Amino acid sequence: MTDVQLADVFVEMADTLVDDFDVIDFLHVLTERCVQLLDVSAAGLLLTDQHNALQVVAASSERTRLLELFQLQTDEGPCVDCFHTGQPVSVADLSSGGRWPRFTAVAAEAGFAAVHALPMRLRADVIGAVNLFGTQPGALDGEKLRIGQALADVATIGLLQQRAIRQRDTLTEQLQHALNSRILIEQAKGVLAERYHLDVADAFALLRDGARSRKRRLSELAQAIVDGTELLPRTP
Amino acid sequence: MDADRRVRLMHEVVALAGGRPVAVEHVCAAVLPAVGVDGLAISVILAATPPETIYTTDQVAADLAELSITLGEGPCVDAAAGLPVFAADLGAAAVTARWPIFAPEAVRAGAGAVFALPLQVGAIRFAVMALYRGTPGRLDNGQLADALVLADTACAVLLDATVPPGRWTEHPDMRHPEIHQATGMLIIQLGVPAAAALTRLRAHAYANDRRLRDVAADVVARRLRFEPDDPQLMDR
Repeated sequence: MTDVQLADVFVEMADTLVDDFDVIDFLHVLTERCVQLLDVSAAGLLLTDQHNALQVVAASSERTRLLELFQLQTDEGPCVDCFHTGQPVSVADLSSGGRWPRFTAVAAEAGFAAVHALPMRLRADVIGAVNLFGTQPGALDGEKLRIGQALADVATIGLLQQRAIRQRDTLTEQLQHALNSRILIEQAKGVLAERYHLDVADAFALLRDGARSRKRRLSELAQAIVDGTELLPRTP
Repeated sequence: MDADRRVRLMHEVVALAGGRPVAVEHVCAAVLPAVGVDGLAISVILAATPPETIYTTDQVAADLAELSITLGEGPCVDAAAGLPVFAADLGAAAVTARWPIFAPEAVRAGAGAVFALPLQVGAIRFAVMALYRGTPGRLDNGQLADALVLADTACAVLLDATVPPGRWTEHPDMRHPEIHQATGMLIIQLGVPAAAALTRLRAHAYANDRRLRDVAADVVARRLRFEPDDPQLMDR
């Protein structure tokens, strides 16, 4: 990673934040940048719901197995611990066993050797966590940890900014909106997967590319697809 | 947000049901003390049919629901777009400017504040829960969180109108993305709107005594297909 790359990513994020933007798309891009900048294989972002449980809202890859692995941590794992303590949690080598037998087994099965979780903090509250997986054992060095935390902070700022733009009264409403948007996107993935006989991960790529090329907000296009008012043909 | 919120509210709802199957009126009865409002109404808003108020606690709530439907404006109408809409002081200039006909009529009907919450699962927006206070005043954070949890509960109960007594299901959230992907797939398989697709998925799970998430996983893995069984189609 070069300083130029790093600067580019933060410029890209800042550019997004000045305008109206789709919060799920923003968080999705952020997880992709985590993978590029932090030299990890996969990144996911979990937010708290009004039941105080963590739910996945964005991931660098939409592979079902990966989403399950992120979601599994709503019960046990580094993300939950990070969420409850507000502190980063890092496991440099999952094969050394440890505190979360069920999570460790599934992570190893998926081919991951190291896992890290960084808190999304807002003043005294923790509103979620960024979750990173590596296929090679190893800790995040001090520099990567700082960059990772900066990216997690940008994710928090993105949520707050959306709240301000959309004139939502409270963070609770904004979090709920983000979670509902994510459900909406899953429904649209299902529609596209069935219509075009695609894998759900490919259906997400189709949806996102469709939103980009049409300059549409991801969640608006997803709503139109679920409502059947837009078909999103595969060949333009 | 406290982790016990959901459990505490569930206990209250179940206690109000007094051994009978939990119905929407029990959820509504729990809303009043928890959220500190004087009454509420639930109106179903489906694209194919005119809005219909299915539950009201009192005459003021009924009048407010009636006003929203006949005037076509107000917080409930706006909340149907998918976001909570709050008018903490119906006499405030900004509120009157936003809903010039509804606001004064609502005050005349006896309301000081209205809080409208959409009942939704992703793209499925099927009802609005409208809470009112006789005097103006904002919801505090605890009241808002309680309102959101109970709105989710009402949502689950309404979706489960056909569930046998004694069964209790969760609000479908992102813990099981396959439920929403399968809903999307059923929209195409059955040629029905999203709300009907989710209902069919749930009905199949109950009828076969299986967990919703397991049925959904079978649909996503294409081990299970649904066929349209509309009698009109079969008669052809």
